[in-house]
Amino acid sequence: MHAARNIRLCTKDCVCLFVCPTGATDTENGQIDFEKCLDGCRLCVDACPSHAIYLVNDNYAPPQVKSQKIKAMMLEMAENKTEQEKIASGIARDAKSPIARQLAKALAVSSRISAEDFLREAGYMLPQGDEVKKLLRALLNSQQQDLPKETIQRLLDLL
Amino acid sequence: MDDMQELSVESLSALCSNLAKACSKQLRTEEAALFDQLSSYYKSKSELPEGKQFKDYSDLVLKELNSDYPKISQQAASDGDRGSLRALTWGEKVSKILRSLLDRYEKQKDSMLENTNVYVCEICGFIYIGNLPPEICPICKVPGFKMLKIQKESV
Repeated sequence: MHAARNIRLCTKDCVCLFVCPTGATDTENGQIDFEKCLDGCRLCVDACPSHAIYLVNDNYAPPQVKSQKIKAMMLEMAENKTEQEKIASGIARDAKSPIARQLAKALAVSSRISAEDFLREAGYMLPQGDEVKKLLRALLNSQQQDLPKETIQRLLDLL
Repeated sequence: MDDMQELSVESLSALCSNLAKACSKQLRTEEAALFDQLSSYYKSKSELPEGKQFKDYSDLVLKELNSDYPKISQQAASDGDRGSLRALTWGEKVSKILRSLLDRYEKQKDSMLENTNVYVCEICGFIYIGNLPPEICPICKVPGFKMLKIQKESV
């Protein structure tokens, strides 16, 4: 678990620089140096008067159990939404006016966001979760010709 | 695994773009970039349909409102699945807004959006028509800076 800075909240009180034992909070890019940060130390998190520093988990608790039925239904909702996204993107491509294109684009973005949300609730919330790893392994074994296998393999190694 | 055969390339693309966002939130930049690549790959496999109208989109939203949301929300409630219920509640509200926007557009055509801006909430998909985005999203209550402005582009 390492600390991270929410730059929107940081008011440059710099107490984190004062308390950090390794200098991890003192960087040029505004973010904390994760390499230097001590696992679970949290001195800066507790010291920050603006609540701008938080801890990022490496591991998460297992998610609430979901029924197979609701998972299937959430995937079905995601399919509905991606179908809508496709239609809206088609309308945007062929639109005769800038406004029709703008509206179609907004609809496509909206449908994509809803699709993503339903997929999260279908069991794919956490990138390091078992469902995601299972899916990546299955993708890797699929027969698709030009599949970017090294991308998938690298993800499996990192997660 | 069965999921993969069931999932369309479009859903795989959405799944990966969502995981990219999740990785960014955890400041895992390399993983985020890899999921984005994978999402683009699946998107490139998707073929956009020809000759579709706003009515086709609206019809799908109506079908969803009439049959999918009631059925699935009931299942989520009986499972006590809070996460799914939350997503369904937002989704249903957004779908109702989409329907009413499209009904209005049907009547007013382009004049509806002539002197105003269009925003989409990056969290729940709510579409807002107005000069400035609302302070918080009326549906999911996220702060207004998460409202993405959709630009008018020439055709």
